[in-house]
Amino acid sequence: MAEEQSSLIFISGGVRSGKSSFAERLAIDIARRTAGNLHYIAAGQASDPEMKERIIRHQKDRLASGLNWTTWEQPINIKALSGAFQTKDIVLLDCLTTLLNNEFFAVDGQWKNASFQERVMDSIMNGIEEITTCCRAFIVVSNEVLNESIGENELVVTYSKMLGELHQHVVAIAKQAYLVEAGVPILMKEVDAIC
Amino acid sequence: MHFITGGAFNGKSRWVIEHYELNDPTYLWISAYEGMSIPAHTDNWIDIVILEGLEKWIQEWSSQLSSHEVRENWRSFLQIWLKWEKESEQRKLILIGTDLSKGIVPMIAEERKWRDVTGWVYQDVAASAEKFDLIWYGISQKIK
Repeated sequence: MAEEQSSLIFISGGVRSGKSSFAERLAIDIARRTAGNLHYIAAGQASDPEMKERIIRHQKDRLASGLNWTTWEQPINIKALSGAFQTKDIVLLDCLTTLLNNEFFAVDGQWKNASFQERVMDSIMNGIEEITTCCRAFIVVSNEVLNESIGENELVVTYSKMLGELHQHVVAIAKQAYLVEAGVPILMKEVDAIC
Repeated sequence: MHFITGGAFNGKSRWVIEHYELNDPTYLWISAYEGMSIPAHTDNWIDIVILEGLEKWIQEWSSQLSSHEVRENWRSFLQIWLKWEKESEQRKLILIGTDLSKGIVPMIAEERKWRDVTGWVYQDVAASAEKFDLIWYGISQKIK
């Protein structure tokens, strides 16, 4: 029974904390044990040379692992991908902040609208739940950005509130949640060991 | 006194409500986010008192007083509250403050001052707290 379980794993950390590398190591670990395929959902779009370089660096890292990753560029609506995965696959999403960003600004000027905000939250949460149920492990990477003054700007407050709530939802249903500090993962929650 | 901190929108208040099973109206919730002012006396307090949004009250003071004065004022308020709590076994004081300490140094001097003094006040609050928890997306980490 245990082998058929699907697991959601949440990983968060500050800028350059090593959260993505840790997430990739974890995914590879699980893949080696379960002989599942590795999938990478890239929410980020290369908008400038630095971003392009960063994406290439991450791609090289994944190639260097010697395992075959399938990359999916999906800036919005991750749910659309759920049919692409099999029950023993390991899926990694990098990262939730970018995904929220893309969804948030997908329709011009709509972010102020409460029902639009709700739809964005539902779309992201449904996507996460859907992918979790159809693969072996779904690893969601996100950023620590809520430990500073948010200020009065409505856009920033709205975005921060949505991100905080998303993180709370994801952590609540995750089997494991990690906070990565300077490359060191701290296990904050563990419901079940991931086998 | 129990001090609760963590990032914004991390579920700090929800954690307090669940942890203390606050479902009946036998507590007093004083929130800076709802525009309530910082309590200078404890006259109308009932057994469980929650003070939420410490950083907002600190911000108000920080715009009018020197950092030193803010910290001293806060210490004297804290003394009044702690004295109230000590008067009876039943009494519980819970302070909730949002962590502001992990971003880029603010460009505006006023915001730097606010952030600095909030950090100092939190150190004082944590030092006199019996319990101290850090909330990360609804998960508590016991610090003290």
